[in-house]
Amino acid sequence: MDKQEIEKRVRETIARVLEIEDSEISSGSNFVFDLGADSRQSVELVAAFEEEFDIEMDEDEALAVQSVGDAVDFIAGIVNG
Amino acid sequence: MSQPPAKHLDAVFSPASVAVVGATRTVGTVPHDIFQNILEAGYQGVVYPVSPRSPSISGVKAYKYVVDIPDPVDLAVIVFPSSVCHLAMEQCGQKGVKAAVVISAGFREVGGAGLEREAQLKEIAARHGISIVGPNCLGAINTDPTVRLNASFARKMPAQGSIAFLSQSGALCTAVLDYARGKHIGFSKFISFGNKADVSEVDLFYYLARDEATRVILVYLEEVRDGEALLRAARSVIRETGKPILAIKSGRTSAGASAAASHTGSLAGSDEVCDAVFRQAGIVRCSTIEDMFNRAIALAYQPRPRTNRVAIVTNAGGPGVMAADACADQGLELAGFSEQTAELLKDKLPATANLKNPVDVIGDARSDRYRAALGACLADPAVAGAMVILTPQSMTDIDAIAAEVVRTAGACPQKPVYASFMGEADVASGIDLLQRAHIPHYILPESMSVAFSTAYLFGESLKVGPAPVPRFEDVDRAVVEEALAKASAAGQLYLPEVEATRVLAAYGIPVLPARVAATAAEAAAAAAEVGFPVAMKVYSPDVVHKLDAGGVMLNVQDERAAAEAFDRIISAVSEAAPGAQVKGVNVQRMAPAGREVILGVKRDPAFGPVAMFGLGGTFVEVFRDVAFRAVPLDVEDVQGMVREVRSYPILAGVRGGPAYDVAMIEQCIERLGQLALDFPQIAELDVNPVIVLEAGRGAVAADARIGLAPEGA
Repeated sequence: MDKQEIEKRVRETIARVLEIEDSEISSGSNFVFDLGADSRQSVELVAAFEEEFDIEMDEDEALAVQSVGDAVDFIAGIVNG
Repeated sequence: MSQPPAKHLDAVFSPASVAVVGATRTVGTVPHDIFQNILEAGYQGVVYPVSPRSPSISGVKAYKYVVDIPDPVDLAVIVFPSSVCHLAMEQCGQKGVKAAVVISAGFREVGGAGLEREAQLKEIAARHGISIVGPNCLGAINTDPTVRLNASFARKMPAQGSIAFLSQSGALCTAVLDYARGKHIGFSKFISFGNKADVSEVDLFYYLARDEATRVILVYLEEVRDGEALLRAARSVIRETGKPILAIKSGRTSAGASAAASHTGSLAGSDEVCDAVFRQAGIVRCSTIEDMFNRAIALAYQPRPRTNRVAIVTNAGGPGVMAADACADQGLELAGFSEQTAELLKDKLPATANLKNPVDVIGDARSDRYRAALGACLADPAVAGAMVILTPQSMTDIDAIAAEVVRTAGACPQKPVYASFMGEADVASGIDLLQRAHIPHYILPESMSVAFSTAYLFGESLKVGPAPVPRFEDVDRAVVEEALAKASAAGQLYLPEVEATRVLAAYGIPVLPARVAATAAEAAAAAAEVGFPVAMKVYSPDVVHKLDAGGVMLNVQDERAAAEAFDRIISAVSEAAPGAQVKGVNVQRMAPAGREVILGVKRDPAFGPVAMFGLGGTFVEVFRDVAFRAVPLDVEDVQGMVREVRSYPILAGVRGGPAYDVAMIEQCIERLGQLALDFPQIAELDVNPVIVLEAGRGAVAADARIGLAPEGA
């Protein structure tokens, strides 16, 4: 899957789970500091990414990912790895 | 007051504006409740919620970032998860925030990545000149009506008062606030400083010294990081402002001290040292929260007793006697009444009453008798303060008596009045009345006498000005430098007795004449030179415990015996410690008869060099009867430590026994303190024993050991 497609679907998932507009999201956005994800939403995001991409992620590693761009790279590593 | 660079503590306690950075709308979470607490406490400044997602919190417009706030911000309360606190701190720096209270946990206290996060936070704050309280803390409270800041997650704003409470533990704070509310105890400032990444108890002591609302400072500590700064700060705050500092230091047990090589090391456990240094600084160390508040309310609410002479007014004989015993235990005296007081009491009390101290107004006493007795006692010039005891009997009008105590105490504001209404349910409303009126109340007369004694002794301690720190000029630093350099070059971690003795002598501590002999013949000649009888000890950098290795022979009487002793020592040591490098045998004149004492210095990780004194033998080994003081030592520190040991009367001369040369012991301790200050590479030092002769005849060090800090330590 190409990186652009992954990024598009990651942003859609974030917008849906955090109930925010896509325009508020940028590659450098920090999930907590910029997008306001609390601990429950962070766990929900991990689950939503797993469902969206039909993958399994190590929860500790996934929760350590802080920005949207890093999430795209992390998921791309699993999907294409 | 010489003190560390000032932190922005005005911005912590009295900010004109506060931003709660990371606030949320989720009720029952720290990020929500802190913002809500600031609102509900009636904060007099401006508060801004900073929330990445919520446009408003509790009806107050929120900002996505702290840099978006249009007006200046003095204080940021950061409640984000630890992983992003650095981002918040960086923005606080850009915004020009002066201080940040970082509530979030997940830093130094969790180790690993938490340590790095804390270091990163400190670096950012330092770069922007921001003072940090925390992280991992409850927050800060200022009850001043012109501020009314509750930037914490404590459930309720405490009442206004004159006690400041500082705590390393956040959770303890909430319990303390609840305890204090139940007893109508108010606070001036209340702060938990958590991991002490920046602001510590030392900074807070200096700040509270200047805080007019604070009369008494309470501190709960789990860890002392810079004991020398703490000692300096506490001493100067107490002496210069007269504000008492009461402390609880938890972690009283000390593992590892027993593994230390020297006597001083093994006796100077961290808690013993902490205890001694707190006392030296004038800090009142308390054992429990209850003990701390028992004493604090006496110091905060009532004048300090001018003398230790107390009057007890009671309606029950037993508790009166118990109180009298408790007073005696605390060094208090029952005041003897003047004739006028005796007449007054006789006139107002029934014939069956006890008119002497403790005054027993008898079980059927009502408020009029308490008023008469307490009033008469307080009017007596011999009485420094009064303790009122009540037991609830069927005719006792408890609330009326409480009101009378309040009124009578109020009419004599220069003398303290404490009360003990003994019981629980029946006396509750009377106690409540007393507590609301700031009459210190105690469930037990024992706690009451401890509080009275604390207040009295604190007042007495303020009368004593700073004592001089003696500095001896007749010392030879070069000798010590050479001995230490030689040992360091040889990679030795301790100086053998011969070198250690030279070091002591260079600092003016009397030592026994001695010569080192490399052969039996030299030993015989050396013995003749130093004078018989002699003690002979193996001279080896590798043998620390000479006696265990068979390396000591005492009371050698002539030259032939000295030669034989030399051979026997060499042979015993080569068998007990085959690889040891033996440089010969130290032939030393036998110590004269006298009283043995031990002197020492240990470098404590928190408090720096600490001096120790004790009587030798059983007193040290069995009873651990030793005293400590942090160096530098003033003359009163030294006099205090010598007199503090329980066995001191033996030195002073007991039951017709001789008095020993205490002045020389004191001088030796002062000289050792100077040595430890001049040479930080000395890690520990034992002079054991020092033989003390009768008063005026001196003392002499009979053995010594000096341990060195490893290179780079």
